[in-house]
Formats: sequence, structure tokens, C-alpha cells
Amino acid sequence: METIYLNKGFSPKIAGGPTSQCRRLHEPQRVGMAPYRIPFIKPRLLVKEGDTVSIGSPLFEDKRDPRIRFLSPGGGQIDRIVFGPRRVVQEIAITLEKKEPAKTFELPSFEQLETSERETLVSLMLEGGLWPHLRAFPFMDLASPDAIPPEILVRVGDDEPFGPSPGIYLTDREAFFRDGISLLLRLCENVAVHVIEDDVKLPVLPDSVAVRYFKGPYPTGNPGVQLYRTKTAPQQNTSWFIDGQDVIQIGKFFRTGQYPVSRVMTVGGSLAPAAVHLVTRAGAPLRALVANGAETPSAARVIAGGLFTGYSASVDSFMGFYQNAVNLIDEGDREEAFGFIRPGYNKPSYSTAFLSVFHRKPFPMDCGQHGEVRACVNCGICAKICPVDILPQFTLKCLVVDEVEEALAHGLLDCVECGLCTYACPSKIELREVLVSAKAHYYKEIA
Amino acid sequence: MVGTLKKMFNASRHHFESGGRLEKLYPLFDAVETVAFSPALTTASDAHIRDSLDLKRFMTFVIISLMPPFFYGIYNTGYQAGLASDLDLGFVSVMARGAWVVLPMLMVSYTVGLFWEILFASVRGHKISEGFLVTGLLFPMTLPPTTPLWQVAVGISFGVVIGKEIFGGTGRNILNPALTARAFLFFAYPANMSGDRVWTLVVQSGQQAVDAITAATPLALLPLATAEKGASQVLNDAGYTFQRLFIGDIPGSVCETSALMCLIGAAFLVVTGVGNYRNMIGGVLGALAVAYPGYLIYLSTGGEMATLFSVHPLYHLVMGSFAFGIVYMATDPVSGPGMNLSRWIYGFLIGALTVMIRVFNPAYPEGVMLAILFMNIFAPLIDHFVIKVRLRKRIPNV
Repeated sequence: METIYLNKGFSPKIAGGPTSQCRRLHEPQRVGMAPYRIPFIKPRLLVKEGDTVSIGSPLFEDKRDPRIRFLSPGGGQIDRIVFGPRRVVQEIAITLEKKEPAKTFELPSFEQLETSERETLVSLMLEGGLWPHLRAFPFMDLASPDAIPPEILVRVGDDEPFGPSPGIYLTDREAFFRDGISLLLRLCENVAVHVIEDDVKLPVLPDSVAVRYFKGPYPTGNPGVQLYRTKTAPQQNTSWFIDGQDVIQIGKFFRTGQYPVSRVMTVGGSLAPAAVHLVTRAGAPLRALVANGAETPSAARVIAGGLFTGYSASVDSFMGFYQNAVNLIDEGDREEAFGFIRPGYNKPSYSTAFLSVFHRKPFPMDCGQHGEVRACVNCGICAKICPVDILPQFTLKCLVVDEVEEALAHGLLDCVECGLCTYACPSKIELREVLVSAKAHYYKEIA
Repeated sequence: MVGTLKKMFNASRHHFESGGRLEKLYPLFDAVETVAFSPALTTASDAHIRDSLDLKRFMTFVIISLMPPFFYGIYNTGYQAGLASDLDLGFVSVMARGAWVVLPMLMVSYTVGLFWEILFASVRGHKISEGFLVTGLLFPMTLPPTTPLWQVAVGISFGVVIGKEIFGGTGRNILNPALTARAFLFFAYPANMSGDRVWTLVVQSGQQAVDAITAATPLALLPLATAEKGASQVLNDAGYTFQRLFIGDIPGSVCETSALMCLIGAAFLVVTGVGNYRNMIGGVLGALAVAYPGYLIYLSTGGEMATLFSVHPLYHLVMGSFAFGIVYMATDPVSGPGMNLSRWIYGFLIGALTVMIRVFNPAYPEGVMLAILFMNIFAPLIDHFVIKVRLRKRIPNV
């Protein structure tokens, strides 16, 4: 067993972590998808309002590669397709029928698959809507079905506040996980399982799979950081990654022949009525997840995904394709008298400029910006906190003067988009936004 | 009380908003209001949570760290003036006398500097940056107590406009604005900024009218060292023992004399993470690295050679404004470098240059000021090479 210790990064002590209690959420009446939240894809709709769909029938495909299809997480009628500005597909909502129709896929037996051609597996994964779970570095776009990656990283455990704990989603699903891994080995002979929690019981995996344990502050659980810490050659920059829970989906699909929709998700944050793990389904409505029987607090921001990289969503929308968590925290739009000079026993900070360094308990954090935007004073906090050793303050300056080459040399493409630089910046500069959009822009240029 | 304050701001807000009579002064209103009330801004997108540290607190902490030398400076100015003019040396009257000298300088510095800040902020539509509060305080602290107030005004104008605003304001300046102002006065009005007669204010009383008192500063005494009488001896004879220099009850710039107070400020800066210890320790090492070999040569030749190095190296750390400069000026993140290794190099070279200027060019005893300004220019270059070396270790990803 290999343990890798990381020391850069930062885990703020935030109140509202989900307990290890795992409830089963009652079946929602509607499910949906939010195609515009999936980075880079250009969705082309395959359904229209009023159509009847079953679980696993295609809803939309990616225009860039029509083989990549996204399947319906529910069976019933499409009751609403919401378009946003420039006709981006914001939402596809499906009203579920009592007895949901589900599509059954014609699959070879599992043993046959393990010995079949790679292409067969790829086309089955594309057909089964599982391909988009595989994403490729450095841009974190969907993996290309025609490429063979140098390595596939399986991320078991995400330490961004607050996501599902692998110990919980692996329980009773170890067999599917192992099956998923053995299929991934057909895609690429180098598969590495990266675990960030000690007490996770992994099933017995094939010998060729490298299992690595990581310890350290957020974002140790980020596959990009893990790649940065383990890569030895530039070829590995184009590795793929997949979340542990999605590996279970792959195993389940090939064992059952049905598009798997069950998911373990979390509700967290200091304003969540009950911060717990929930067994629910893909594309569940946020209101059902959040409320969980109780009222949604009105001052709360609903964040689909983690507190650093998630997106703020209406409580009436649906869970994203890649998100497995919903967090509710205080909007924090309050003025504070003489805030800059208070001793700050209750103010969480990466710096040591607050008495909160003596505060051991977690803080109920809010979405306040805690200060106004100022020019960069080169304080270097971003460089100190960056888990992949980018120098955000210098990279930012390269990017504002369009010195892309230099920014790339600084490691722009190693950026894992963890959001810590934006979090820590005392000048409140949106560093993550600058870096992420520069990466996306560069990707378009070279594509 | 907070409620009343809020009402006051709300009542006067319409004058400053667009269309109001004082529309042009909105940056001033905004600056005052945001000091009293941190605005209720929320994050627009990810990351949804933000650290509590902002630039206001960052800069405020620099100001707090300046308080020990500031108050000691007021005391010492009053004390030296009292000593020279044969007046009461009780604590209260000394403080009052010192405040009478220092506070007008501070007020002129803040008022005139703020005028330029508001002018540029209004024209550019910027906010007033907190960085100015530090500049406006640092500058008068580095001046001799006899500086005429009009020179304070001219100096801070130069520092703010030429040192900072023409480059685009806080965060974009190449030189430390407070030091730019100080250097401007040093070269423009040398009679008021150097020599033996400017360091003690004489309060005229009754018949006994003395214009000024002549008291050579320790740095001015350095070149008097000879083969027979080393500089340490010269200093001791003039009453400048190491202990006195460390505590700082000597004539000098109003708030720069006490190394002890700067040390307290430095501890505060380092503990809160606002000032970088690398610049400071690098500076001390640099000064010693130049001073020690020279001193050893002086000792080993029995005073025949390197008489200029005859002062004990530790004296360099407590003489003049070395401590003040290295703690408060060399740690300025904007005009200094941004990489940790660069900070060591930058600090080291500041210390080394300071001693070299002091020893080899006694015409400019204020070596630390010139050394820091000189290294400000080189900070981007040091960073450039340090970054280059560091990037070589990365596995390329393009």
C-alpha cells in the first residue's frame, strides 16, 4: 500500500458536514437534467416536449461527437425543456410514471466482455450512456472514444465540502465496483485507484490496478492534484479520470443490462435541515433532496456540488450530471460594522490574522465576499495555497496581458480548478474564473 | 451607536451618488462608509465561500504594527526637544511636545495624500485603496522632526503621484511610494534632510534663542573612525552605546530611531502573516554578511586596513533607519518580489547594499533608503529568474 502525503491546500473548518447516516429518499415525481452545466458539450436534443421516454432512452447527444449520448434518468413524459440565452438547453424535466418503463440493453455476458475487443466495450459504453463519466485531463472534457489514455484515475472519495463518503456508496456495491474496474482495465492497462479515506473497504481488485492512498488537506481528493503528484512524464498529462461512484454504475450496467439511476448523494451545509447521505436517483429535483420533509430556509444559497466548485442553482432545478451533493449555506448579504478590525474569533481564515486560529470547532460559513475587490498586491497567499504549485498571482498577470505561452509554462493546464486561490485572495480577485476561462479559451484554439 | 452611524450614512448618501452635489467625492464617501461598515457583498459564483481576510484588514494590520515605533517616536521627539531646550522632561509634557511636532506632519501627509488619492480615484472611477493609509503614515515617520510642513506636503505629493498613481495606483507601483517621497525630499532639500542640525527640534523659549542644535547622528560619525580609534570607540565616546541605539533614545528621524520598537512591530507582522519574515531575516543576514568580513579584516590587520569597517557589525542593525526600513519598507509586497527565494535574495541584497552605502559612500548615510529603492527596481528581475528556475522543475504540460 502506497500512501502519499500532500501538504499544500487548505481545509476550512466548515460546519454542516453530512453525518454517516444514510437515508433512502422517497421516489421523486420528476427528474431532470441540466445539459448546460456539463462543460464543453454542444447538446443536440433527441426528444421534444410531450415525448414519452423510458429509463435509458437517449435525451440528447453531443454535436461534436454524436456517438456520445446522454440517457434519460427516468421513465415518463418530457414535460418541459427550458432554453436559456442563445438557446442553450438549460433543463429537461421528466414527469415520472407510476410504473416507469425502462430500456433493456442487449449485452454480451460479462465474461465475454472481459475478453472482447476494446472497441466493443467502448461502443457499448457509448450506447449505455456511461461514456460521459470518463473525463480527460487537462481540460476535463469528456474523454474521446477514439483515444487510448496513458492512465485512468479512479477517484474514491472527494474531500470538497461536502460530498458523499466512499465508505457509504461502496457498501453493498463492492462487487459492481470491482466489475467496473475490471472493465476499465480493458480500456487502458494502467488503472489507478486513489483513495483518500483510510477506513474504506475496497473489494479485492485485479493485481494490475495500482491502489494509492492520499492524505492531506482539500483538494487532496481531486484527481487533478493526485495526477500532479504522481505523474512522472508529460505523456501522463492526458490521463482520464472517473469518480468511484460512476465506476459502480459501469459495473452495474454491464451486470444488469439496464441504465443505472440509483445514486448516493449528500445534503450538507450549515443551513441544511438535516445533513445526511441519501440514496436517491440521478437527476433528482433539488427541492426533494433539500427539503427531505422540511422547509427550505429562505436565506440559504442552494449549491449543486461542493462549496468551492459547485454551482448555485434554483431549488426547483435538478441535480447535475457530475454532481452528487447539494449544499445549503447562508447567503451572508449582511453589512458588518467595523468588520476589518474585529478580533474575529468567529471568522474562519487561512491566514493567522484572526483570533479564529484558536477556534477549534467548525464555522457556519456564508457566501459573503468578506471584503471588496482590490488590485493584486502580490501578497503571495494564492501561490502558498495552490495545490499544484501554480503561481496564480503571476499567471494572472500573464493572462491579462495575453501572454498565454508564459501562463502555460507556469502550469496553467495543471490547474485543477479547485477554487482555493479565489477563496484565499485578500483582494477578492476571481482567480479561478480567470484561469478556468483561459484554459477553456486555449482549448478552443487548439481544438 | 451603530444604528445612528448607519442613519448618518444613509442620510448623506444621496449627495454623493450620481446626480448629487458632491458626486465627484463619491470615492471619499465610499471609503469612509466601507471603513465603518463592511459592505454586504456576496460571491457571484464559485468559489462560493471566501476567506475572511481582506485588503482592509491586511493594511490595517500594517498600521497597527507601526504603532509601537509611532508612539515611541512621539515620545522620543518630545524628549529630545525637551533635552535640547532645557524643558520639563515629565512623560505628559514630553508626549505633548512630541505630538505637537509629529501630528501636524501626519495630518499634512494624510490630507495632501488623500487629496491626490481622491482626485485619481474620482477620475478613474476607482475605489480609494487602503494602501494609501500605510503610505501616508510611513512617510512622516521617516522625516527629521525639523521638516517644514510644506515639504511634507510636497514630498507626499511626489510619492503618491509619481511613486504610485502614474503607474496605475496601488498594486502597480514599482517603487515604494513612502520611500519615493522620502528620497525626493532627501535629494530636493538636502539642507533640511541631512547634516547634523536637523535631527533635534529646539523649542525656543524666552531669551535663550538657539536655532538648532548640532548633534551628529551615529551614521555621520562613522567616517571619523581612524586607525587608532575605531568607529565603535567613536560612537561610544559620543554616547551612542549599543544599548542606546537599540532602544532609540537618540536624535534622529521622528519614528525610526528605535530598533526595539521595530522588532515589536516585526513580530506582529510575522505572527499575523502580513509581513514576510524572509525579507527581514534576509536583510539582517545581508548586512552582517558584508559587515563581518570587513570587520574581521579590520581586526586582523590591527586597524591598519578597512578602517571604515571598524564598527562592530551588530551596530549596523541598530543604527539609522535600518531596522525601520527592513521591517516596514522591505516587506512591502507590491514593490518587493513575490517568490520566497526571491524574498531571501531581495532582503539579503538590501542589507548588503545598505552597509556598502554606509561604509563606502559616507555622503549618503541613509543607506537603507537607497538600498531598498534600488532593490525595488530589481525585484521583478529577481522574480523572473527565480520563476525560471522553478518552472524547470515542472513536468511540462502544454
